[in-house]
Amino acid sequence: MAELTSKERVIKFFKKEPIDTMPVFSGMGTVVIQAVNEMGVKFAQVHTTAELLAGSALKSSEMCGLDAVVVPYDMATVAQAVGCGLTLYENSADILYPTVPNKWETLEAVDIPADFMKRARMPIVDEAFNILIKDGRFAVGAWQLGPFTLAGQIIELGLLLKGAKKNKEAVEAFLTKMTDIVIESIKHYESLGVDFLNIREMGSGTDLLSPKMWNSLIQPHLTRIFSALKTPAVLHICGGTDMIVPLMNQCGADALSFDQKNTLAKTREVVGNDVIVLGNFDPYGTMVQMENPADVETVVKKCIDDGVDAVWPGCDLWPDVKLDNIKAWVKTSKEYGKKRSPVIGRI
Amino acid sequence: MSKSKEELLKALAEAVVEYDEDACKELSQEVLDNPNTLTPMEAVMNGLAAGMEEVGRLYDTHEYFVPEVLMCADALYAGLGILRPHIPKAEAGVNAQVVIGSIQGDVHDIGKNLVKMMFDVAGWGVHDLGRDVPLEQFVEKQLDTNSEVVAMSAMMTTTMLGMKKVIAMIKEKNPECLIMLGGAPVTKDVANLFGADGYADSAGNAVSEGIKMIGRLREFQASKK
Ligand code: B12
Repeated sequence: MAELTSKERVIKFFKKEPIDTMPVFSGMGTVVIQAVNEMGVKFAQVHTTAELLAGSALKSSEMCGLDAVVVPYDMATVAQAVGCGLTLYENSADILYPTVPNKWETLEAVDIPADFMKRARMPIVDEAFNILIKDGRFAVGAWQLGPFTLAGQIIELGLLLKGAKKNKEAVEAFLTKMTDIVIESIKHYESLGVDFLNIREMGSGTDLLSPKMWNSLIQPHLTRIFSALKTPAVLHICGGTDMIVPLMNQCGADALSFDQKNTLAKTREVVGNDVIVLGNFDPYGTMVQMENPADVETVVKKCIDDGVDAVWPGCDLWPDVKLDNIKAWVKTSKEYGKKRSPVIGRI
Repeated sequence: MSKSKEELLKALAEAVVEYDEDACKELSQEVLDNPNTLTPMEAVMNGLAAGMEEVGRLYDTHEYFVPEVLMCADALYAGLGILRPHIPKAEAGVNAQVVIGSIQGDVHDIGKNLVKMMFDVAGWGVHDLGRDVPLEQFVEKQLDTNSEVVAMSAMMTTTMLGMKKVIAMIKEKNPECLIMLGGAPVTKDVANLFGADGYADSAGNAVSEGIKMIGRLREFQASKK
C-alpha cells in the first residue's frame, strides 16, 4: 500500500479521495511551547516575524508528527491592521495570546483602511505562508474569523449583540463590510497557494445567539463566503452548536468542525455522509491536563466512533501540551483510523 | 389614576423583561413622583431586580439568549440611573464595595458585566476595571478603595491561573480582603484551591455569595475580639 506524504494525505482528504490512513492535523493553531522553547524565543515573540511564525509552525508539526501547518496563532491580525492596536504580553511569565486593546466605540466610527492587507502584521503572515508552502512537507492551512467574530474584534461585541435586535439594518450593513474583509483576506491566502481554508465563526454559537438569529444574521454571510472560495474550506464554530448543525451544513462548506460541546454522533446522523466532519476533543482538558496518554487514546477513539473523518481539537491547541499526549492523538488516529471514515475511503 | 404598589412593581419588572428602556425610565420617574406608593429601594429590589430574575430564568430555559439579556440589562440600568440617587445611603443594603474585572489575557467580559450589574442593583459600590486587567491592578485598586471584595472573572482555563497569583498578591498585602472567583472554567474546587473566599456560578448568585463572605468575615473578626 502506497504511503502518502503528509501534504498528499490532507489534499486527497479534502478531495474526498481514498487515503492510506486518517490525517492528523487541525485548522487552528497547533504551535507547541516545546518547539518555541527549542527555538530559544518567548511565546510573545513568535507572532512578530514571518521566520518565527513559520519556523515555530514547522517545528511544532515536526515534533508532534502532524500532517499540516497553520498560521497565524492569534485572532488579532486583521483588527491590528485596521488600527485597533495589539497587546503582546511580552512581560508576562505566562503564555498569553495577543489581544486587541482598542475597539471602536460605535459602528459609525469604524473606518477600515482600503490597504489593510498591507498593514501591521498582514505582510508577515503572507511571508510566513510563502515559507510554509516552499517548505513543502506539510499541507498548509489558512484561516480567517467569520464576519460576526471579526466584528467582535474591532467593536464591542455587546454593541453588535444588542444592535442585532434593535438596530438591525446598521448591524447588517456592518456585517456585510466584515464579510468583504473576510473574503478579501482569505481569497488572498488562496492565491498564495495554501491547501485548505478554515472560517472560524467561533463567537456565534448558541452560547450567545439563538438558532433563529443565527439563521438570519450569520448564515447569509457565511454562505456568501463559501461560495466565493475554490480551495476546500472548513466551517468551525466552538461552544454550543447542537441546535445549529443543519444551518451550518447549509452554508456550502466542504467540512464542518465542532468542539467538545457538540454531540457528535448525533451530528453525524443529522448531516449524513456527504460532508466531512471534524472534531471534537477538548484541547486543554485532553492535551494539557490528562496525566495518562491512555486516556487520550480513549478520547480519540470516541471521536472516531462518533463519526469524524479526522480527529480535530475543538479550538487552538493550548501550547503548553504534554508531548506524550500529542503522540497518543497521532498514533491512535493513524492506527484506529486505518479503517475508512464515514466520508473518506482508504486506498 | 396612579398605579397601586403592586401594579407599579409589576410594570417595572415587565419593562426589564421586555427590554423597554423608555418604560423603565418613565416608571422609575413615576416611583419618584408618588413617594407614598413605593420607595426607590423597593422599586429597585422588587421591581427592576425581580424583572432581572425572570430574565435569568428565561435565559436558563433558552427562551432568551445573550442579546436579549444585554438589552434587559440596559433597561435595568436606565431605571437604576433614576432611582439610585434617591436611595438613602443607610438603606442601600450592605454598604460594601467590590473591585471587579476580567483577568489579564482574557477579553471575555459579557459574563463579568452581568455580575457587575447585580452588584450595582444590590447597592454596592462597584469599581469595574474592565477586561484584560493586569494582575497588579486588582491589588492597587483594592488598596486604593479599601474594598471588601475583589471579584475576578476568567473564561479560559489558561488565564484562570493568573487569578491564583492575584490572590496571593492581595492576601499578602491585605489578608482580610475577600476574593470571589467566577467564569466558565472556574469551579468551587478551583476557587478553594486558589485560596479564594467565594465562588458563584452565575450572576444571580454572585451578590448573595458576596454578602455571605462578608458575614463570615465579620463573625470571624468578632470572635477574635
Ligand atoms: C463570546 C465568546 C468570545 C468572544 C468574547 C467577547 C466578549 N466581549 O466577551 C470572543 C469572540 C472575542 C472570544 C475570543 C476568544 N475565545 Co471565547 N468564547 C466566547 C463564548 C462563545 C461565550 C462566552 C459568554 O460570553 N457567555 C455568556 C455569559 C453570560 O456567560 P459566562 O461568561 O459564562 O458568565 C456567567 C458565569 O460564568 C458567571 N461569571 C462570569 N464571570 C464571573 C465572575 C465572578 C466573580 C462570578 C461570581 C461569576 C462570574 O456569571 C455569568 C453570568 O451568569 C465561550 C463559550 C462558552 N460556552 O462559554 C467561548 C470561550 C470562553 N472562548 C474560548 C477561547 C479559547 C477563546 C479564544 C482564545 C479564541 C479561540 N481560539 O477560540 C479567544 C481569546 C480571547 C481572549 N484572549 O480572551 C474558550 C475557552 C476554553 C478554555 N476553557 O480555556 C471557550 C469556552 C470556547 C471553547 N469551547 O473553546 N470568545
